[in-house]
Amino acid sequence: MSISFPLRASSAILALTIASRVIAGDIVVVMGPSATAMTRDQIANIYLGRSTVLKPVDLPESSAVRAAFYKKVTNRDADQIKTVWSRLTFTGQGQPPKVLPDAAAIKKVLAADPKAIGYIEKSEVDATVKIVLTVD
Amino acid sequence: MNAAENSFEDTSTMRARMPPQGAGALILERLGHVTDPHLLFPLLAVLILIILWAATLHLIHVERAGAQGTAQTSVRKLLDTYQAQVVRALREIDQTLKVVQFTAETDGNQVALPELQDRSLLPPTLLFTVSVIDARGAVVASTAAVHPATVNDTSYFASLRDRPAANQDIWVDPPHRESKSGEWKLLFSRRMNARDGSFAGVVTETVDAAYFVSGYEPSMLGLEGVLGVLGTDGIFRARRSGDAVSAGETVDYASVVHPGSGGEDLPVFLAANPWDGVRRYTNSRELYDFPLAVIVGVSEQEQLATTSHDRRIYLERAGLASAVVILLAAILGRSSWQLLQSRRLASAAKVEYAERVEYLAYHDGLSGLPNRSLFSKILTRSIKLSRRHQRRLAVLFLDLDRFKQINDTLGHEAGDQLLQEVARRLESCLRDSDTVARLGGDEFVVLLPELGSGEYAAVVAQKILTLLAEPFVLVGQEFRVTASIGICTYPEDGQDEQTLTKHADIAMYQAKEEGKNNFQFYSEKLNANSLERLSLESSLRHALERNEFLLYYQAKRDTASGRITGMEALLRWEHPDLGIVAPMQFIPVAEETGLIVPIGKWVLKTACLQNVAWHNQGIPDLSMAVNLTARQFSDENLLADIAGILRETGMQPSLLELEITESLLINDVNKTLRIMAGLKAMGIRIAVDDFGTCYSSLSTLRQFPLDAIKIDRSFIRDVSSASIAHLHPEKPDLADAIIAMGRSLSLTVVAQGVETKEQADYLRVHACDEVQGFYYNKPLPTEQVTALLQDQKGSG
Repeated sequence: MSISFPLRASSAILALTIASRVIAGDIVVVMGPSATAMTRDQIANIYLGRSTVLKPVDLPESSAVRAAFYKKVTNRDADQIKTVWSRLTFTGQGQPPKVLPDAAAIKKVLAADPKAIGYIEKSEVDATVKIVLTVD
Repeated sequence: MNAAENSFEDTSTMRARMPPQGAGALILERLGHVTDPHLLFPLLAVLILIILWAATLHLIHVERAGAQGTAQTSVRKLLDTYQAQVVRALREIDQTLKVVQFTAETDGNQVALPELQDRSLLPPTLLFTVSVIDARGAVVASTAAVHPATVNDTSYFASLRDRPAANQDIWVDPPHRESKSGEWKLLFSRRMNARDGSFAGVVTETVDAAYFVSGYEPSMLGLEGVLGVLGTDGIFRARRSGDAVSAGETVDYASVVHPGSGGEDLPVFLAANPWDGVRRYTNSRELYDFPLAVIVGVSEQEQLATTSHDRRIYLERAGLASAVVILLAAILGRSSWQLLQSRRLASAAKVEYAERVEYLAYHDGLSGLPNRSLFSKILTRSIKLSRRHQRRLAVLFLDLDRFKQINDTLGHEAGDQLLQEVARRLESCLRDSDTVARLGGDEFVVLLPELGSGEYAAVVAQKILTLLAEPFVLVGQEFRVTASIGICTYPEDGQDEQTLTKHADIAMYQAKEEGKNNFQFYSEKLNANSLERLSLESSLRHALERNEFLLYYQAKRDTASGRITGMEALLRWEHPDLGIVAPMQFIPVAEETGLIVPIGKWVLKTACLQNVAWHNQGIPDLSMAVNLTARQFSDENLLADIAGILRETGMQPSLLELEITESLLINDVNKTLRIMAGLKAMGIRIAVDDFGTCYSSLSTLRQFPLDAIKIDRSFIRDVSSASIAHLHPEKPDLADAIIAMGRSLSLTVVAQGVETKEQADYLRVHACDEVQGFYYNKPLPTEQVTALLQDQKGSG
């Protein structure tokens, strides 16, 4: 009757391979122009809800960039990320990052809020944002 | 013997009575045994084991109780937290539904969600899906990208549609499995009403069932704990143990939650959970606002794992310690026991050895009877007792009469056998209180400590004689042995042990003298004789060493010429106290004791030396006569001794004349002949002394190689009374006959004991060859004899 989470891993890997085929270039983590460089661990902590100093934003779940980002930065797939935020939300320790439809929306939010942090394809980077980490 | 044992028993019984008496002392003595190492160690071990196990079990009990308490407390706290989390999550969902419902009702189904999304009034889409469904069941809006087009066939839609408009309760749908991913989903729903109250559709919010159990903390709940949300319908909305999340199982709600248990009082109970059979400390609580209950449980096994682990370690350690203690106790106990045993054995051996030594020291090895030492002690003791109780006692001194003969003829083994049998017979005829001891050799002594009368001693003595008179069988032959017994009594015959023994001994000698095989009582007179004899005997033994003997010489003269032709050596004893002792007084004793042999040798040697000395002084050759007693004559070494003396002194054998008694010619003729032949071979002359007393016949005399006969002085005395033959020719006298006989056998006839002129004349008339006697010379010491000889020489 019960189905455990680990059984779900195969479908997650399938989703990842599909997504990675779509990604062309590098993904970069960006913030407002006054930001300084950050490490991958710092970014991972932010996106896993361990650090609440900055306000992360996400691309939609259907986004291949999102899947690639999480895979590369946190080494976790979508189900695992969901589990993490599920626990944090249920126990009242946090809320999943705000979901924005595309890179443009992210850049807009970042430009307006120096505490906001997001990830986009490198090709999307412009003067409004500053790269704090390049994910490769 | 029995008396001896009794005396030893006395001391041992006294020792046994020594320990303190009374119950207290007895307990102390018992306790004393506990401190014996071989008992102490096991007892200590048992004590240690009891303490050890009591402490261990107590510790385990305390720890277990503590662990149980901890588990219960922790479950209650976890339930508090979980309840708060679940209620908050539910309220958030309910709040969202209410907001969506209101917005949709007011602004329209289509615009509600985007409007709320813009205002961030919708929950994160990552976890929650919110949908708006119109009255026909069509999904008109949803936060999820993919969703079913209609839900009009679902039970929640139908239920909400059909329920009264006033019922605004949230609908909590039983979990369903999402067809695409297979994940369990929970759906919450509210009914929307149109302004007129009619059914306008429903608002739903869907979330993973796992969301409600995502607070599962393995560090608190373990891998076997449980976190669950159960509907009041008995269907699990979500349940998680470890990483396994499930939903949809139906259980008996009442048995899990207990209805009406909204308060805090519902206890944490330990039971096997009905859904998976795992024993848990479980607590559950029904929620106030929702048809749900929350359940928290921790596995008994996991919670007590540490305790169980500790418990096992404690038990193992206790077991190990017990084994060590038991082993140590066993080793120590065993070695102590062995030590004790070896000590006991050693002391037993020591005691046994001491007893053996004592036994040997106080008993005769052959017969097993008490020996002289023990008898002396027993007698001393008995004398004391008799003195105290004014009783009499008797000492019987017993000596076997022919023991030496048996020993000599049958051998010592037979002699020993005889002594053993005698000992046995003696013991058999005595009372238990009597003592028989062997003093050595064939001497036994009997103590009758409780003597009624002197007759009883005589009765016992007679009984012994009778018993011993029965034949003994030794080396297959029957022998008869008799004994002589001397009896003396306390207090009459002596006051101490030594005197009594000595007097019994004396009485025994008397019995021997009385012809043996009899018993004699001691008397003072016996004692006097014996004492004199004993004194003489012991003095004799020392006389030779002390040079107390000396020789007198009596001249022998030629009857015709009156010249001295020879000497007879005569023994004298110059006793330091008694003066000169005559031979007849001590020769019998010397004969009896055998002292005559060394004395005889001394006489012979001294006489020879003297003769040679005279010869050297220019005195014409003299014969030297020396007396031999019967005992000397039968001495085996006689010939050798004489030859040695002759050689040593340079004495001419032909001048030596040995005088023997006439009795030798009658007894044991063959032996006498043999010895005489030996003497003759050396050239020694042989004379028969005191001839005529034994009535030896002419034919007897003829057998022996004799040289002379000496007429006994009794015949010479007869001629003194003027019975000169020629005056009374009708009365032939014996002296004349002897002279005639001697002459016929060509023997030199010597008359001795010549004391008067008549006798001298008679002998001259009857042509006796030589004379000797007081009429001529009495026996004289050496110097006077020498002077006499010098005179004769001078007179030419």
